[in-house]
Amino acid sequence: MQKYSIFSLIKNAFSNHENWEVAWKDPKPKKEYDVVIVGGGGHGLATAYYLAKEHKITNVAILEKGWIGGGNVGRNTTILRSNYMWDANGLFYEYGMKLWENLSQELNYNVMYSPRGIINLAHSDAQLNVYSRRGNSMRLNGIDAVMLSRDELKKMIPFADFSSSSRFPIFGGLMQPRGGTARHDAVAWGYARQADSMGVDIIQHCEVTGFDIRDGKIQGVQTSRGNIKTKKIGLCVAGSTSLLAEKLNIKLPIESHVLQACVSEPVKPFLDHVVTFGAGHFYCSQSDKGEMVMGGDLDGYNSYAQRGNLPTLQHVLSEGVAMFPNLSRLKMLRTWGGIMDMSMDGSPIIDKTHIEGVYLNCGWCYGGFKATPVSGWTFAHTIAQDRVHELNSKFRLDRFNTGHLIDEKGVGTKTWIG
Amino acid sequence: MSQKYRLDNVGYIDREKAISFKFNGKKYFGYQGDTLASALLANGIHLVGRSFKYHRPRGFIGAGTEEPNAKVQLYKDAKTEPNALATEIELVEGLVAQSQNCWPSVNFDIGAINNLLNKFFPAGFYYKTFMWPKNFWYKIYEPIIRKAAGLGVAPLKPDPDRYEHKFEHCDILIVGSGPSGLSSALAAAKNGARVILAEDKPRFGGSLLTDEVTIGNKKGKDWADDTISQLKSMPNVIVKRRSQVFGYYDHNMMVMLEKTKDHIDNPNKFIPRQKLWYIRAKEVLISTGSIERPLVFGNNDRPGIMLASAAKEYMKVYGVLIGKKPIIFTNNDSAYDCAIEFKKNGVDPLILDIRKNSDSSSVKEAKNLNINIKFSYGIANTNGYLRVKSATIGKLNGDKSGYENLENIPCDCICVSGNWTPTVHLSSQSGNRLKFDENINAFIPDKSRQNETTIGSASGKFNLKQSLEDGFNKGYEISKKITGNDIKNSPPTSNERTYKDHDKFWCMPLPKNKHYKRFVDFQNDVSVSDIELAVREGFRSIEHVKRYTTLGMATDQGKTSNLNGLQLVSNIENKIVPDVGHTTFRPPYTPITIGSIVGREVGKHYRPTRKSPMHSWHEKNNAVFVDAGLWLRPRYYKQGNENLLEASKREAANVRNNVGICDVTSLGKIDIKGSDSAEFLNRVYTNSWMKLPVGKTRYGVMLREDGIVYDDGTTTRISENHFHMTTTTAQAVNILAHLEYYLQVVWPELDVNVLSTTEQWAGAALAGPNSRDLLSKLFPNTDVSNENIPFMGFKEEDLYGVPARIFRISFSGELAYEINVESGYGIFMWEKIMELGKEINIEPYGTEALSTLRIEMGHVAGSEIDGRTIASDLSLDGMLSKKKDFIGKRSLNRKAFLSTDREKIVGVVPLDRKTMIPEGSHLVKDNNAALPNPKLGHISASCWSVEYNNPFSLAILKEGKKRIGEKLYALSPLKNISIPVEIVSSHYVDPKGERVRS
Amino acid sequence: MLEIKCPYCGKRSQNEFSYGGDANVKRPALGKEVSDKEWDNFVYLRKNPRGNHSELWHHVAGCRKWFKVSRDTLTHEIYNTEKLNEEF
Repeated sequence: MQKYSIFSLIKNAFSNHENWEVAWKDPKPKKEYDVVIVGGGGHGLATAYYLAKEHKITNVAILEKGWIGGGNVGRNTTILRSNYMWDANGLFYEYGMKLWENLSQELNYNVMYSPRGIINLAHSDAQLNVYSRRGNSMRLNGIDAVMLSRDELKKMIPFADFSSSSRFPIFGGLMQPRGGTARHDAVAWGYARQADSMGVDIIQHCEVTGFDIRDGKIQGVQTSRGNIKTKKIGLCVAGSTSLLAEKLNIKLPIESHVLQACVSEPVKPFLDHVVTFGAGHFYCSQSDKGEMVMGGDLDGYNSYAQRGNLPTLQHVLSEGVAMFPNLSRLKMLRTWGGIMDMSMDGSPIIDKTHIEGVYLNCGWCYGGFKATPVSGWTFAHTIAQDRVHELNSKFRLDRFNTGHLIDEKGVGTKTWIG
Repeated sequence: MSQKYRLDNVGYIDREKAISFKFNGKKYFGYQGDTLASALLANGIHLVGRSFKYHRPRGFIGAGTEEPNAKVQLYKDAKTEPNALATEIELVEGLVAQSQNCWPSVNFDIGAINNLLNKFFPAGFYYKTFMWPKNFWYKIYEPIIRKAAGLGVAPLKPDPDRYEHKFEHCDILIVGSGPSGLSSALAAAKNGARVILAEDKPRFGGSLLTDEVTIGNKKGKDWADDTISQLKSMPNVIVKRRSQVFGYYDHNMMVMLEKTKDHIDNPNKFIPRQKLWYIRAKEVLISTGSIERPLVFGNNDRPGIMLASAAKEYMKVYGVLIGKKPIIFTNNDSAYDCAIEFKKNGVDPLILDIRKNSDSSSVKEAKNLNINIKFSYGIANTNGYLRVKSATIGKLNGDKSGYENLENIPCDCICVSGNWTPTVHLSSQSGNRLKFDENINAFIPDKSRQNETTIGSASGKFNLKQSLEDGFNKGYEISKKITGNDIKNSPPTSNERTYKDHDKFWCMPLPKNKHYKRFVDFQNDVSVSDIELAVREGFRSIEHVKRYTTLGMATDQGKTSNLNGLQLVSNIENKIVPDVGHTTFRPPYTPITIGSIVGREVGKHYRPTRKSPMHSWHEKNNAVFVDAGLWLRPRYYKQGNENLLEASKREAANVRNNVGICDVTSLGKIDIKGSDSAEFLNRVYTNSWMKLPVGKTRYGVMLREDGIVYDDGTTTRISENHFHMTTTTAQAVNILAHLEYYLQVVWPELDVNVLSTTEQWAGAALAGPNSRDLLSKLFPNTDVSNENIPFMGFKEEDLYGVPARIFRISFSGELAYEINVESGYGIFMWEKIMELGKEINIEPYGTEALSTLRIEMGHVAGSEIDGRTIASDLSLDGMLSKKKDFIGKRSLNRKAFLSTDREKIVGVVPLDRKTMIPEGSHLVKDNNAALPNPKLGHISASCWSVEYNNPFSLAILKEGKKRIGEKLYALSPLKNISIPVEIVSSHYVDPKGERVRS
Repeated sequence: MLEIKCPYCGKRSQNEFSYGGDANVKRPALGKEVSDKEWDNFVYLRKNPRGNHSELWHHVAGCRKWFKVSRDTLTHEIYNTEKLNEEF
C-alpha cells in the first residue's frame, strides 16, 4: 500500500497525481469467507479492520448494499465524546476516545480528530446538579470533565445569549475538553483502505437477501451477487437492523427513526467548540470548512425515509437561535436525515445471538459515530473469540429481560422522545 | 454617475431613479430595478470575489440563484449578512457590500498563493497529510486551516430583524412564472381553482423577460404582464414575487420564503424581513424552468466568463453589456440569441460553435446579421488574471480529442452555453424518481410520487409552444379535477426561433502537455483533474466523488456543476449517465435564512412562559423566580441583602416554627369522573384505591410498564364517582396523556373521563404548626379541628364568598393544608391569607425552602424519581399492593430489580456538621483510590437542615439502609471536594410522621 | 409536515398530534399469569417494518383522542386512519 505523507503528496504532484493507487479495490465476491460483515458503514469497516489487525482474521468480506460509508457514518454531525454517566457507557466510550486519539496515525489517513471540547450548557441550578452527577462520575472513571461558570462561558462563547431577554438563561456548563469532532467520511475511507490492504474484500452493491442456517448454525448468506459461505457473520446495519434480524427470526427492542441534521453556509470560524443547548435538544459545531453543523430531536415517528419534515427543524433551530442568537442571520444550506436504530433504553447492543456464528451490533441511537472505533474493536473481539469483551459486557441483549438497563436519559421505552 | 456599460434604451430598470451604493469601499451608481450584480456590471466590474480553495479571482457566472461565485458581505455589525448573492440583491440606496474570502483586497489577495501551489492541493489532499507529528493536527495545522475557512463573516450580535410565518391552503400551487407557469395559472384560475403563483425573482415572466417571442399578438413580456394583471384581479388567486418555494415536504406541504424588506428603501422597522409560508397544496405544478450549463475548458473560471443566458439577461432586463469584445462559446442554438442581442446593441460578437453546423432559424438570423461564426471550434484556454483578456481557440479535430490549430483571440468576456438542465429539485424532493433524457442530456422528472406535476422546461420541454400548451392543459385538467368546473379557453398561439439538437460534447480537451485547470464546480474549485483523481483512487460512486472532491457541496449546491460532474464520471467510467446515478436533491433549494425558519420563537418567546394567577403578587414582594419546566415559580422572597441560602433557611424555619404559604398552582391537576374511576385509579397507582372514602385524600405512586417509578401525587375522592388527582409539575402533561392512553387504548370498557384542570385551579399551601389557627380565620364558620379535617381529609368550604377546596396534605412534613380556588380568585385567596396571617407573621416561601422541607423529611421528588429508580429504591415498597395488579407490577420481579445491591435512598450528613455536600457528588469508600474509583451512590439532593442546623443530603446508595452508620466520602472531583460523611436515615426529621397528624 | 386525518376532527397538520408507536402492542390483561418472555416482549418489542405500519397517534392539541393510523414508514404516505374500535 502506498504510504500517505507530505512527501508522497509532493512526489505525486510532479507526476500530476496520475500515479495514486486505488484506496480500496473492487473485488468480486469469493465463494467462502471466514467472517462476513454485513454493512459497509463505519462500524462494519472498523470491525473488519480490527478482525484483521487484532485477531489476524483476514479472510473477511464486507457486504454493502450501496456504497461504503453511505449510511449514518456519512450523515452525522461528527461529534466525539465519552461524557456518560453510567459506567457501562463511560468506560466503553472512553476506550473509544483513546482509539480516536491515535486513529490518523494508525490508519495513515487523516481523520482530523479535533479535541476541541464539548460543552453542555445548563440553564438552572437543578440542571447543573444533574450535570455534576455525570461530570463527577466521569472524573471518577478517569474521564476528563470540568464545570464552567457563566462567566467562564461568557469568555469562551461570548455570542451565546447571556442577555436579559434569554428565556432560559445560561447558568454554567459541563465540558469534556477531549471531546470534539472528526471528519466522518475520512473515518469510513481510512478503515476501508487499511482493511483492504490487509486482505479484506470490500464488496459494494451487494445486498444480503437471506441467511442459510442449519442446526442453529450459520452456514452462509444469500446476496444479490450470489451465495457466500461463512461460519460467522456480523450485522452492522444500523437503521435496517430490524429488517435483517427479521430474516434471522430475531426480534429486537429497536425502532427505526429519522434524525435530521443541517449545515449553514460556510462562514469564518467563530465557534471553536461543540456546544449543546440544555433547555432543549440542540447541538452545534463549526466545521473546518466554516459550516455550522447542527442537529437535535428526532422527527418523532417510525421512519425509514432518509428525509424529515420542516417543523422538526424549525423546533431544533429555534433552540439554536435561543442559544446563539447570531445564527439567525446565517443561512441554512443543506438538510438531511439518517435512520437511527433507537433501542429501548438508549444504549447499544453488541452481542452474540442464539444462532451460532451470528453476531449483532446495533441499537446505536444517535450516538453511533463516536463509537465507530470502539464498536469495531469490541465487535471484532466478540466475533473472533466468540465471547463478549469486558467493555461490551453490559451491552447484551438479555438486559431487556434481566432489567440491567443502561438508561442515560431516564425516558424509558418511548424511543421517539429520546 | 456614468455607467460605462449601460445601454440607453433596453431593460426594465427605472433610469429616473439613480441609486448610490458602495462596493469594496468605493461609491457607484445604479438604477432602481438593478441587482447588485447588474449595477456592478454596468460599472464594468466583473471581479467580485475569490474562490474557496485557491482564492482565484472570480466574477459573475449567472444572473440568479444558480450563481456560484458572487457571494458578498452586506452591511456591518448586527445587520451584516455573509454570503449574500449579488445576483439576487436588489439595489437600495445606501447598500454597502464587500467582497469575501480575500485579504487585503479582492484585487490583491494573499490567499492566492494557494493557486500557485495548487499542484500540491488536489482533491482530498488533507486526508493524506498533516498526520505528523501526532498532535500537530489539532494544535497547528487545523487552526491554520480554520483561519482560511469560511466565506463571509458571521454577525456576532442578535439579529435585529423580525421574521413571520404564514399558513395557507390552496388547490394548486404553481412554482415559477415563466410561460408554462403563467399559462397553467390562467387556465386553473379561470376554472375556479384557488391558485397561488410564486416567482422567486422580483419580476414575473421567467424566460419571457429575455426571449424574443410573441404570444398571441403580443411580445412575450407584454403577454406576461397582462396575464399577471389578470391573475391579480381574480379573488381566487394569490400572486407572489420574491418568493422562493424551497422545500417539498410530506403530504404536499410546500414551504416558501418571501422576501419582504431588504429591497425597500428606508423600510418601516415593523416590516418583517422575510415571511415563511407553509402552504398545503392539493396539487403542485412545478414550472421552475431550467438552468444553463457551463462548458468546461482551460481556465474557464476567469472574471468575464459567464453563462450566455445570464449575459442576455443582463442586456435585456437591466440594459447592461457585460463586455464589448464578446466571444460566444456554445454547443447548441440558444446562445445565438445572446450573440444576436449583442449585435443589435452595436457590439460584434464572435461565435465558436462546437457543432459542425446548424440550420436553425437562430443560426440563420445570426448569419444574416453578419455575425462571425466558427463551427467545430473550441476554447482550449483563456488568459487574463483579474479579467479575461483573451482566449486560446482552435479547430477541434475529428474525434474532438485535440485541436488542429491554436490561436489567441483578444476578448473581454466569454458567454458560454453547454445546453440546459431542467430544475428538477422540487420534483425530486417530493420523492419523484428522475429519469435521464438522452435528447437533452439531463434528468427530468419521472412518475410523480405526491400530487405534483412538472411542466415547461423543468420537464425538458424547451420550446415555447410546448411549454404554453403543456401549462395550459395541466392547469385546466388539474383544476377540473379539483373544482369540478369545466371552463376551458384555448391556449395562446406563439412564435419563436427554432432550435436544433445540441452537441453532447462539453468538456474541451487540453492541448498537448498542458495542465490547465478546467473547473467544474467554481466555488469549491473542483476541476476535471480532481474528479479524474477521485475515480482513479476508487471513489467511483457519484456520492463518493461528491464527498471526496466536494463537487456540488458549495452554497450553490451544484446547480451549474452537478450534471457536468456526472457526465465526466460517466465518461471516465465508460458508463451511461443514468447508471452513474445522481446525488440526492434535498431541501432547501437555495440557502434559507435560519431566522425565517425559526419565526417568532425567539428571545423570551422561545418557549411559552406559564405564570400562576398570583404571579404579580410574587413580583411585588421581591420574589426571585426559577424556571420549573415552562412555569416561573418563586424560588425565594428576598429580604434585604439575603442570599438564596439565607432566605430559604428563614422561610423554611418559619414553616417549621410558625406558618408559611407557598404557591403550588403549577402542580398538575386532573379531574377524573365516571363510575369506574376508583377501579381505574386502582390500576394506575401501585396502592389500593377501592376503599378510599368520599372526602378523603390518598398519596399514590405510578409506575411505567417497565417497573420504573413514573410519578407521584395525591388524589382525592370528591364524591363517589369524582376524583381530583395531582401530579408533579414536571410530569403533568405526560400523565394526562398516559391516563388517556390507558382509558382509550387499553381499557376502553372503563367508564371514566379525565380532564386537565391545572389551569382552572389556583393553589396555596399553608404549612406549619400554626396553619390550623390561620385556617380557622380563613373559614370562620368551619370546624377546622383535627377530627373534622383530619390528616388526608378534604372539605369544600366558603372562603369569604369564594368556593374553596381544602385538602389536608403535606409535602413539608408539618401540619399543612392546601387550598384551591378557581384561578380567577387566586389572587383574592392569596391576599386574604396574607391579610389574615399578618398578625401571626405568616411568610411566603419559595421552591428552595420547599425543597429543604421535603429533603429533611426524606420525601422524594424529581431528583430521586429520575426515570431510573424503582419503588423499593425510594423506600416506597410499602406503596406496592400485594393484593392487586397494577401498571408495571409484572416488571418488578426481574433479576436486576430484586438484586440486593441496588442503590437505595438514605440520608447523609457531613461528619463536621458544617460542610454542604454538593448535589451530584458521588459516595465512595476510599477518596484516594485509583481510577476508576468504584462509586457506591450519589447525592441526589442537599439542604441546610433548619431542624438540626446542619447540612443534610439525600443519596441513592448501594445497599441503602444497610449502610446506616457507615462512614464514607462524598466526592466532587469537579469541585475538588472530598467530604467525610455519615450515612443516616432518609427520614431525618419527625421519622414517625407525628406532626402531619397533629 | 404530515397531514393526518383525525377520525373525529378531520385533516390537521402533524403539529397538533403526538405519536404513540406500534398499534399492535397488546397489554396482557391485569392479573393474568404471563410468562417472563411474554411480558418482556410486551414491554420492549415493537413492530418495526419498512412499509405499512399500524400506529397510534394522539390528537393532543385537539380532541385528545387516541386513534390508529396506517402509514408507510418509507414514503410517509398515510393509507388510512381509524377510531380505535374500528378495523382498517
